[in-house]
Amino acid sequence: MSERTRDRHWVPPMELDPTRAAAVPAAEEEAIIAGPLAGPLSGSAAERLPALLAEDRPRSRFGRWLAGSVAALVLIALGFDTWDLFNRAFATSAALGVLVAAAVAVAGGAALAMLLRELRALRRLRKIEELRGEAGRLSTEIVTKAGEPGHAERFAGSLTRLYEGRPDLTPALERVRDHVTDAHDDAEILRLLDREVMGPLDRRAYQTVLRASRDTAVATALSPAAVVDLAVVLWRNLKLVREIAALYGARPGYVGSLRLLRRMLANLAVAGVAESAHHVAVEALGGSIAAAISTRMGQGVINGLLTARVGLTAMHLCRPIAFGPDNRPSMGQIRKELLSLPKQVL
Amino acid sequence: MRVPIFNDLYDAGSRLLGRAGDLVSGGILEQDVRLGVTGLRRAGKTVFVTSLVDNLLKAGRLPFLDVVSSGRFQASRLRPQPDAQVPRFEVEQRLAELTGPIPRWPKETQGISQLRLSMRYRPNAVLKRTVQPVATLNLDIVDYPGEWLLDLPLLHQSFAEWSALTLELAGRAPRDELSVSWRGWLATIDTAAPAEEEQARRGAALFTDYLHACRRSDNLLSLIQPGRFVEPGDMANAPLLTFCPLPGDRPRTRGSLWALMEDRYEAYKSKVVRRFFAEHFARLDRQIVLIDVLGALNSGPAGMADMKRALELSLEPFRHGSSSWLDWLLGRKIDRVLFAATKADHVASHQHNSLRHLLDRLVSDARAGIRFEGARVETMAIAALKSTETVVTEHEGRQLRCVRGVPLGRDRPTVLFPGEIPEDADFPPGQERPYNFMAFQPPADLAREARGLPHIRLDQAMQFLLGDYLE
Repeated sequence: MSERTRDRHWVPPMELDPTRAAAVPAAEEEAIIAGPLAGPLSGSAAERLPALLAEDRPRSRFGRWLAGSVAALVLIALGFDTWDLFNRAFATSAALGVLVAAAVAVAGGAALAMLLRELRALRRLRKIEELRGEAGRLSTEIVTKAGEPGHAERFAGSLTRLYEGRPDLTPALERVRDHVTDAHDDAEILRLLDREVMGPLDRRAYQTVLRASRDTAVATALSPAAVVDLAVVLWRNLKLVREIAALYGARPGYVGSLRLLRRMLANLAVAGVAESAHHVAVEALGGSIAAAISTRMGQGVINGLLTARVGLTAMHLCRPIAFGPDNRPSMGQIRKELLSLPKQVL
Repeated sequence: MRVPIFNDLYDAGSRLLGRAGDLVSGGILEQDVRLGVTGLRRAGKTVFVTSLVDNLLKAGRLPFLDVVSSGRFQASRLRPQPDAQVPRFEVEQRLAELTGPIPRWPKETQGISQLRLSMRYRPNAVLKRTVQPVATLNLDIVDYPGEWLLDLPLLHQSFAEWSALTLELAGRAPRDELSVSWRGWLATIDTAAPAEEEQARRGAALFTDYLHACRRSDNLLSLIQPGRFVEPGDMANAPLLTFCPLPGDRPRTRGSLWALMEDRYEAYKSKVVRRFFAEHFARLDRQIVLIDVLGALNSGPAGMADMKRALELSLEPFRHGSSSWLDWLLGRKIDRVLFAATKADHVASHQHNSLRHLLDRLVSDARAGIRFEGARVETMAIAALKSTETVVTEHEGRQLRCVRGVPLGRDRPTVLFPGEIPEDADFPPGQERPYNFMAFQPPADLAREARGLPHIRLDQAMQFLLGDYLE
C-alpha cells in the first residue's frame, strides 16, 4: 500500500452535521428486533452467510453418480411397475383401478410431504452448522474491518430467529439484547450470547445426557438377554441424539438424525469429548472393578459411558456456537455418577 | 548512606503482625482484597472509582462479571474503611455531581483516598460452598496519584544519579524552554559553598515552577519527579520538599549546599516514598493503571514519547520488590495488573481495538517484565462512564463512524469524527494534526434507570481484577 492510497483514505478530524447521523447498527438492530416476527426460514441472514462447515469430508464424485443413477433406476422401475399395476387393475375392473389410483396418489403425496419435512429439518441442521462456522470466525477475527461491522448483530438476529417460539429462551435473548451496547465488538457479543443463551441450554443438555446414560446402564444391568439390551441401547441413543438436537433448536427428522449419527460415529474418536488415553484407562479400570463385582453391572457402566460419549458428541455437533476451551462439557460428573451406580443398585 | 534492609525488615514485621491480627479477628470468614487504582493526572481515576462503586452497588450492567451473570451475586454495600488515617473517597458526593440535574464531571482527587465495599455472594467452588453458603468479600479501593508511583524508582537512585538524569531530561526539547529560569539559576550558584536556607528555598521554588509548567504544558508532559512537589498534600512548604537536583559531583566540603540538598533528598526518600511504599503500595493485591492514551495522542509525538517514558518509570515498582528475598516475608504482592486506556468513548467503537493495540505497544516492556515476575497482565480500552454513542454518517460518499455527544462547554450534541488510529502505528503518516479528541459532558438522566452508570468494558475489567476472588 503506497503513501498516496493511504492519503486518499485518510479523513481529517472534523465535526459533522448531527441531523444526518444514524445510530450504528441501524440495519442490524432491525434484524434482531424483527427476528421473532419474521418467518423461520424466509431469507434469513444466516442463509446469506458463507457455508463454511457445510460438509466436513469431500464426498467422492463417483459415489454420488452411482447413488444418483441407482436411485433413478429404482424410480423408473417403480414407475413401470405402478403403470403395469394400473393397467392390470383397470383391465380387471374400473372400481379396482380407481382404488389403486387413489392409493398411489395418497402414497405419493405422503412421500412428498415427508420429503419436504425432512428437507426443512436438514436445512435447520445445516443452518446450525453455518452459524457455528460464522461464530468461530467472529470470535477469532480480532479486528472488524471499518467498513463492514455488525456481523455479530446479524449473527444474534439469526440465532434469535432460530429460537423463535422457544419461550424458555426468550428471557435470555431479551437479556442479551438489553446488555449489548454500541460499544461491544463482535467477539464480545458472541461471548455474551454464548454465556447467556447457550449456558443454560448446556446445563439442560448435560442433564439429559446424564439421565440417558443412567438409563442405559440400568437397562443393560437388569436386562435378561443381550439382544434386549442391544435394542434398548440403540433406541435410547437415538432418542438422546434427537432430544439434544431439539434442545439446541435443530429438530432433526429421520434423515437428519441418521446424518447426525453418522457424523457422530466419525467424530466419536476425534471430537473434544474423546479425552486423553489416561481417562480412557481410568474408565476401563473403573469398569473392570465394577465388573469384578458383577459382570452385568460392569457392562451396564460401560454402556452408560458409551451413551454419555454419544450424547456429548451430539452436544458438540448441535451447538450453534462451538464450545470454548473452558466451557466444554466433560465426562467427569457422568463417570462419577455411573461408577456409584453399582453401589446404589446392589 | 542507605540502610534499607532494616527498614524493610521493620515493615515486613509489622505487616506480618497485621496479618496475624486479621486471621484472629475473623479474617478467615471474610476475605479482603485491596485494589489499587492509579493513573497520572486527568487519567480518570475519580470517575473510574465512582462508576465502579455505583455499578457494584446496583449490579445492573455487568454481564461480563461472572458472579453477577451467573446469578450468584447477592448484594454489596459500603462499609467503614480499615485504615482510619486515610481520607475516605467521597463517592456519594461525586455520584450526586454526575447524576444531578446539570451533570458535571467531579473534581479531581488530591492525594490518596480509600473506600471499602463489601460484597455478598454464593461461592461456586465446592469447598468454599460447603464451608460457607454465603461468602463476603471486602473490596478496599485505594486511589492514589500516579505521580507517587513515579517516586518509587527514587528508592534505588542516589542524589547524584537522580540529579544527572533529571538535568539531562530538563535540557531536552520540549522541556528545555520550560526549565530555562531554573537552569539559569543553577549556573549562577556554587554547589560547594556553605548551605543557606534562602538559596535552597529559591532553588526548590524554581524547580517546582518548572515541574508545574511541565504539567500544564500543551504537550501534556507526564514525567514529573518527585511527585509531591506538584501534589504536596499536607506537606506544602515542609523542608522535605525544599531541594532540587544539582549538577556536578559531590564536593568534599562539609555543610555545603550539595550536602544539604542530598540530606533532604534522602529524607524525602525515607519519610515520603518509603512510607508510601510500605503503608500503601506493598499492601495492594491487585492494581489497575489508568492511562489517558487519547490525551497523549492529542498532544502529538512529543507528548506520546514523554508518556511512554513516564509509564516505563512508574511501572518499575511493580517489578521491584517482588523477586527479592524479602518476598516471602512481605507476603502479599500484586498478582494481577490491568492497564486500561480510559475514555474509550471518545472514539467510535470500531477503534477500540486499535486503541488497545496502541496501549499494548506502550506498555510492552513493562508487561514482559511483570509477567516474568509471575503476575498476570492485561490491557483493555475502557470508559468508566460512557458519555457518547457511536453513529454512522456520510461524508463525501464514504461511511464514517463517528461519536455523538455534547462537548464540554456546549449545550447541543455534535457528531465528531476524531480521526482514526492506525492499527500498526501511533500516528497516521504525514499528517499535521491527525487527531481531535474532544471531551464530552456526562449524559443527562443518568439517575433515571437505577442500574448503574453506563460504561464500556468496566465489567470485563472487574472480572479480570476480582473474578477469581468471587469464584
